[in-house]
Formats: sequence, C-alpha cells, structure tokens
Amino acid sequence: MTPGLRPGSLRLRLLGATLVTLALALTGAHVWLGGLFRDHVLRQFDSGLVQQLDQLTARLLLDAQGQPQIDPGRLSDPRWARPYSGLYWQLDALSADGQSRRGVLRSRSLWDAELRLSADALADGALHSHDSTGPQGEALRVVERSLQLAEQPQARWRLMVAADTREALAAVNDFNGVLAASLGALGLLLALAALAQVAVGLAPLRALQGALQRVREGRAPRLEGRFPVEVQPLIDDFNGVLDRNAQVVERARTQAGNLAHALKTPLAVLENAARQSPDPTLAPLVTEQVALAHRHIHWHLARARAAATGRLPGQRTPLAPLLDGLLRVMDKLHAARALDIDGGDVPADWAFAGEEQDLQEMLGNLLDNACRSARTALRVRVQREGAQLHLAVDDDGPGIAPAQRAAVLQRGVRLDESQPGSGLGLAIVVELAALYGGALTLEDSDLGGLSARLTLPAAA
Amino acid sequence: MRILLVEDEPTLRAQLREALMAAGYAVDEADNGRDAQYLGETEAFDAVVLDLGLPVVDGLTVLQRWRDAGRTVPVLILTARDNWNEKVAGIDAGADDYLTKPFHWEELLARLRALIRRAAGQASPVLRCGPLQLDTRSGRVAIDGQPVVLTSHEFKVLAYLMHRPGAVVSRTELTEHLYAQDFDRDSNTIEVFVGRLRKKLPPGLIETARGLGYRLAAP
Repeated sequence: MTPGLRPGSLRLRLLGATLVTLALALTGAHVWLGGLFRDHVLRQFDSGLVQQLDQLTARLLLDAQGQPQIDPGRLSDPRWARPYSGLYWQLDALSADGQSRRGVLRSRSLWDAELRLSADALADGALHSHDSTGPQGEALRVVERSLQLAEQPQARWRLMVAADTREALAAVNDFNGVLAASLGALGLLLALAALAQVAVGLAPLRALQGALQRVREGRAPRLEGRFPVEVQPLIDDFNGVLDRNAQVVERARTQAGNLAHALKTPLAVLENAARQSPDPTLAPLVTEQVALAHRHIHWHLARARAAATGRLPGQRTPLAPLLDGLLRVMDKLHAARALDIDGGDVPADWAFAGEEQDLQEMLGNLLDNACRSARTALRVRVQREGAQLHLAVDDDGPGIAPAQRAAVLQRGVRLDESQPGSGLGLAIVVELAALYGGALTLEDSDLGGLSARLTLPAAA
Repeated sequence: MRILLVEDEPTLRAQLREALMAAGYAVDEADNGRDAQYLGETEAFDAVVLDLGLPVVDGLTVLQRWRDAGRTVPVLILTARDNWNEKVAGIDAGADDYLTKPFHWEELLARLRALIRRAAGQASPVLRCGPLQLDTRSGRVAIDGQPVVLTSHEFKVLAYLMHRPGAVVSRTELTEHLYAQDFDRDSNTIEVFVGRLRKKLPPGLIETARGLGYRLAAP
C-alpha cells in the first residue's frame, strides 16, 4: 500500500468516491443501453413476423369444401418449406364454444410437430405476441391473429407465425459484449483520469508534507513554498506560530544573556576593588563570593538557554563547521601551550539534532577542559552509528582517577582550584546532553589522559 | 610597551588602567568604538584590550575594521559574553585571545605578556640575548645569572628592544611604544635611558645605528 492510500487518507476517500460512482454509472449505462437495444431488436423481429403474418393472412382461402387453404407455392420465404428451419406458421380453428382444433394447417417446416399456444381471447384482427418453445426446444417468438373469413362468418381461425429468436438474441448478446468492452475501456480511462486528478489535486499536500519534514529535520526554519489558496492560510498561520516561537525563544535567550552580561562587569569591578582594600579579609571573601555568583550566572544562563530550545522540533546543526570554529578558538586561547590538536575528519553531512549553541557549549567545554589538562596533544574523533553521534575528546594529560570521575560530573566541583574555570563545564555538558537524551562518560584515553565521550542524537 | 584599553564601564576601566600601568605598560584609553577604531588606526600599540559591548560602534566591528585596514596589533577581547559562538565570532573577526569577565588579574596580565611576546616572534616567556636574560613574567633582568637592578623606564626600553633582537628600533618607535598618547613626549629622554642602560649592561650590547636608531645585538 502506498503511503497515500492508508485507510482514511484523502487520496483513498477521493479515489474511492470517484471509482464507486464511476462503476455505478457505467453499470447503469450498460443495463439501460442493453435494454434499449434488445427492445429495438425484438420490435424489429416482431414487425418482421407481423409482415409474414400479413402475407399468410392474404394467402388464406377457403376451398370448395369450405376448408381453409394456404398454397405453399405462393409463399416466398424458403424457410417455410425446410423442416425445422426456425420459421413456422400454423392455423388453428376456433369453435364457438371456445374449444380449438390445433394445427388445421401448418407450414411444412413444422413437419409433424405443432405449435402449442395457450388459449387466448382475441378480438377479431387483433395481434398478440407470445414467447413459446419450438419443435426442437428452441425459443420461439410467436405472433398470432384471430380471423373470420367473409365466406364463412361463423368460423373463427387463429393464424400464428413463429420464428426462432436465437439469431436476434445472439445479435443482442454481441451488442452487449461490445457495449461492455466499450464501457469498460471508458471506465478505465476515467479511472486513470481520476487518479491523475487526485494526484494533481493532492500534489500541494505532498509538497506541504515535504516542507513539514524539512522543518522537522531542521533543514528549514519555516514552511517554504507557495500553496493553493485553500491551504495557504493554514501555512501562513503555521509559519506565524513558528516565527513567534522562535522570537520568544530568541528574546528569552537575549534577556537571560543581557542579565548575565550586565551582572558580570559589576562583579569584576567589585572583585578588583576588594583586592585594593586595606582590609586583608575583604579580598578573599569578595573573590570567593564573586566566583560563586559567577557560577550561578553561568549555570542558570546555560540552563535557561537549554530549556528554551532543547525541546523545539526541527533543529539541525552541522557538526564539521562548528567543530572547526571551536578548534580555531582553542588554537588561540591555548596558543601559549603549543598543543598538537588533531581535529580528525568529520563528514560534511553529519549533523546534531539540536540547537547550535547547545552543541557549542558541550563541545567547547570538553575541548577547553582537554586543552587545559593536555600535556602536548589532544584528539577529537566523531563516529556515527544509526541515529547517534559519538564524540570523543582525548588528551594526554594527567587524566582523572576513576573514583573521582562521578564527582567531577557534578555541579561546581573542580579538581584543580589553581586552574581558572567555573567548575561547571562538565556538569553543564551532562545537563545539556541529558536534555537531548544523550550522555557523557569519562574513560581512560589511549593517549594517556582522559577520554570524554559524548553521545548525542544525530540529525537526518 | 603600549596598550590600548577599550572599555565603556568607567570604574572597571580605571581599575584596568591602574593594574596595567602597575605592570609597566603605557596605557591609552577609549570608552567607545569610534574612538577606539581611530586610535587603533593612527597610533602604534603593542596590544589592545577590547571590550565587545561598546557604545557607538561595537567591539567586534572595530576589530574587523582594524583587520580589514591591515592592522595586525594583537587584540585580547575582554568581555562578559562567554558563549562559545561569541568566542568563535571574536576569534574569526581577528582576535588573538579571548578572556571573559569576571577575570583574574594574573591571567589577564599573563595573556597580554604572551600575546606581545608571540607577536614579536618570541616563544619563551624568558627572553635572552647573549649573557642577558629578561623574565617577562617577573620583570627580572640578569646578566650571566646575576640580577641587574633597573628603573622602570630602563626596564621598558630594554624589554622593548629584547622583544626585537637584531632589529633596528628608531627613537620615534621607542617613544611611541613607551608613552601613552597624552604623555609629553621627548625623544631626548630615550637617549638618557639608553645611556644609563649601556652603563649597567655589558658593553656593545646596545648598538647605535647612526641616524636610524638602536639595535640589540648579541656579542
């Protein structure tokens, strides 16, 4: 079953309604036209029989003994003479008491059989037609007329002509066959036209499906393309919701960022002022409290941003350019350490199914940590397995003892207080990764130091 | 060494100026992007400390305009913006280092020293020229391991020359890099300092290239 023909789909509804209507209409047409033709053929047949009957009526004479006679020699159709030819006539005598004497005269073609018609009350000269059975069991059409001859007014006769209907009915059947084939072909063409109509009519919906898919996969920020006037209002509304959503997220993020930035400069001023104070206890206290405030800002800023964007659909961040940008930053920030940074080779179409800044925050923190602890070298490797990305950042630094690893993933723990840093880096990575259903693990690296392994959802 | 300090918050700017001057730098200041851009394009600095959120023209634009104009002065961005994408944007605009607020003074000064050293092509924090040794971190000078006591001006002249061993440095260049813009510059004072230095250092270490300037040469 194609995707468009699921039960309840528009395509199935449209096609179903069209095809059922088409079938009913064509069947009806077949029945009606077939019936018309059959009636026409039988009328023609009957009028032929009536002509024969008229001819016989004209030939009917009474002989000298008062017996009716029809001279076979004066009848033109050769079938009258050929036995069981399928064309028969017969003259019955009707007595006054309603009893009839059957087969007073018969055509030679009847041989020794006779036509048996049920009794019929006929007005003089009136025509009646019947269906009957012939001497060989064939279906017969019979036309009869009751007669009174002027020479013998007391005697009444029933003259009938019968003919085999097989040929006529065969013609009707032939016609029905041709009609069925023609209507079938017509039906097929109309069904194809209906298919084409549905395909053309529903094409914008398929385009819409594609546009939605792109939004879901993060390849487009909104529904793109022009759609029919019936659908466009829906598209515009949907895009409006997407835009508003993006604006709200952006505004929230900007405001959180602004607040953080606005707080940081006063904190720096405060800390510097405390250092110049003659009170020797003030500087350490303020430094400690400023550092604490900074951690809170950093932590909640990262969380607010992640909460605002972590669950939005349709996000896609290509990995390679982001990693390159961060490596350029590491190159500068840690230039004094002259580290050998191996960024590996990431295929251009690998992407993270999430927000760019979140990936930057995770990867940036891991790289920054690795640069701080590495002795001479660090290495980044990315692998893709199905719908998951595995990022590994390895360094040749002192590493972290297995017993301490769980602790450093917790908020605010710093193993080396002499190193600058908020002590939130790994905790933020853990928090962000969890938002995306990923994880961070710390292991021993074959380079000798720590291997930070981050698992994240891959984008299509 | 002369530093351009660009920061719009007056208290922090004053604190930074004090700290930088205490570390032996000549400091010029700007509190908005337009002034900063003008100073950076017209004056000779050994490094720039640049805030990003500036009035009139923002810091990133100022930096891009300097780089577009071919100014290669080392720039350290000092900002409250600590997102990685902002760091990437800063580095890609041409910054040489990026430090976020709040910061530790020691780290800012260490990074500035390293920037100036690297810009002069010196890898080690300890500069050497023959028997002469200058530790940029501690500001100590020694000859064959024996400490030499220098005044702050003597130290600044020697440090500038030691960042450029073998190169001829004109008196004008020395003046430009040792004094801030609003300082009353007199190149004759440079001659006085060079003369005093020569008395404290082994003979022949500071050569005079007549009509051109001075050159530090290992004997």
